[in-house]
Amino acid sequence: MGVPSVPIITKAYLDLAKSTAAQRGMPTLRIAYTVHPIWGLTAEQVRAFLDTNDPISNRPFMKEVIDGLTAPLNAEDEKTGLQPVSPGPATFGPDTLDNLQAYFMNNQMTDYMPIVVPTEAKVAEMLKGTSHKPDEVAGRTGRTANGAYEYTVKQVAVNAVMAGCDPSYFPVVLALAASGELALGGSTTSFGYAMVINGPIREKLNMNYGIGALSGFAQPNATIGRAWSLLGKNLGPGSVPGDTYWGGQGNNINYNNCVIVEDEKNSPWTPMSVQKGFKPGENVVSVFSGWDMRMGHGAKGAGSPEPKFDEQIGSMFATLARMFNCVVVLDPLTASALKDQGYDTKEKLQQYLWKTYTVTAKEYRESFLAHVWIYPRALKGEEPMASWWKLPDDAPVPMWPKADNIELVVCGGQTNAFFQVANMNYGRSFSIDKWM
Amino acid sequence: MINRRKLLSLLGVSPALLATSNASAAGDKHKKDAAPATPPDPKFVALTPKGTPPPVMRFAMAPRTISNLDGKTVYLVDTGFMAADVMIREVEAWMKQNMPSITTVSRRKAGTYPEDDPKLWAEIKANAAACIMAIGH
Repeated sequence: MGVPSVPIITKAYLDLAKSTAAQRGMPTLRIAYTVHPIWGLTAEQVRAFLDTNDPISNRPFMKEVIDGLTAPLNAEDEKTGLQPVSPGPATFGPDTLDNLQAYFMNNQMTDYMPIVVPTEAKVAEMLKGTSHKPDEVAGRTGRTANGAYEYTVKQVAVNAVMAGCDPSYFPVVLALAASGELALGGSTTSFGYAMVINGPIREKLNMNYGIGALSGFAQPNATIGRAWSLLGKNLGPGSVPGDTYWGGQGNNINYNNCVIVEDEKNSPWTPMSVQKGFKPGENVVSVFSGWDMRMGHGAKGAGSPEPKFDEQIGSMFATLARMFNCVVVLDPLTASALKDQGYDTKEKLQQYLWKTYTVTAKEYRESFLAHVWIYPRALKGEEPMASWWKLPDDAPVPMWPKADNIELVVCGGQTNAFFQVANMNYGRSFSIDKWM
Repeated sequence: MINRRKLLSLLGVSPALLATSNASAAGDKHKKDAAPATPPDPKFVALTPKGTPPPVMRFAMAPRTISNLDGKTVYLVDTGFMAADVMIREVEAWMKQNMPSITTVSRRKAGTYPEDDPKLWAEIKANAAACIMAIGH
């Protein structure tokens, strides 16, 4: 910008502020810190704080701000030029497996559960799972002004070994890595991630889309999901609490993410990969990010002897926030019942749910994070937010901008007609075949 | 005749108990036959799971050419994140009371909080001697 500037940041983000400033090329950036949080303080309380000390420097807060704008720069403040950043050592050891295990854990390279130590031999074995060269760039993440974190097929393989993947799973892990959307992203709201897998690879790898599909009953489901979080931890800026990860309470889903393998055979509808433009028979992984997944047992009408699943699913929307969209995971029994109700395509059900389960414009404007996520887009004129924001208080507003923001996927063991609802956004879909 | 595994199942006890008892017996036998000295654990080299970070381009901070803000224009920017608006309003009120010669201009950054707003940065560059930005939270 070229104008003396001082950001005001709450003290909880000291590490994040410093590391971001350094990464953006201004490690000595002058920052004034406030108490944390300021959200929820009255105007009077904020005003009173301004006459107290910066909790980090312990100097009068407003003096810190004014001095930051006017005090002369020193030599360090004026440094310019390109500086390489070391990725750290390429290898660790030689040491015993126990010591290496401890080293990886103590240096925040694991999820704090035992890993398979990525020896050269194990990684070489993993690399047999793809035809791609070890030094080929598999993807990039964490874009900065000077590029992004970059990783090779071999670096992805190291993480796949650590997660316990069989080499036959490696193309799926590579497709996830190639997406650049790595699990464990930062937000105080504690993000969670999900993937949907389609195509014949589901059978080839013996993935579970039957009984206990979302639980730990199959090695590919468990380890591919775990690998995604390890990719997020290791290939990009990392997930260091307080620095590059700041989820207030964390999210249990982060351990291995929601791995949803669609039951294409027992689904009455088009597979998700085909909805996203891929051909039937292609192996595809679709990625999602958001918050959580909840059972439909609390839905209005759940347990009724004559269930109306469209109404049950719609009633769950009242429990979801609008910053993220919706993914409904339906057991094949539920999907079949919905087909019998007349929803012979996913699109028909999406349209019904989108049009029917609305909130009032007042609720829309006052909903969680609407002020920081919806209002700015409305201000910029982005539709439909701009029009919806101006509606009278009692006007109905759909939960999300488009009907296909409600994604539907079929999986489950048909032991009962249940469903789950995730408050998550679809990201993109990626070819697994490309990485075979 | 009913086998032990089936009997345990009927009693609601995991048949895995059978495996446990066998494993214990094997363990005891192993203990008896164990050699007194254990060979040292083999050593391995492990590969890093880390990606390669991009280089960092260092930028100098904007020169501080004025020693005070008397009579200058200061832009106060609300990023749009939680409570940044309250902070900006109160900083503005503080300045009016304590540094009345400063002209303050409050602006809300366009877009959601992670989005850039080059138009606003250009406006600040053209008009301001300094800028204070509240990140909020």
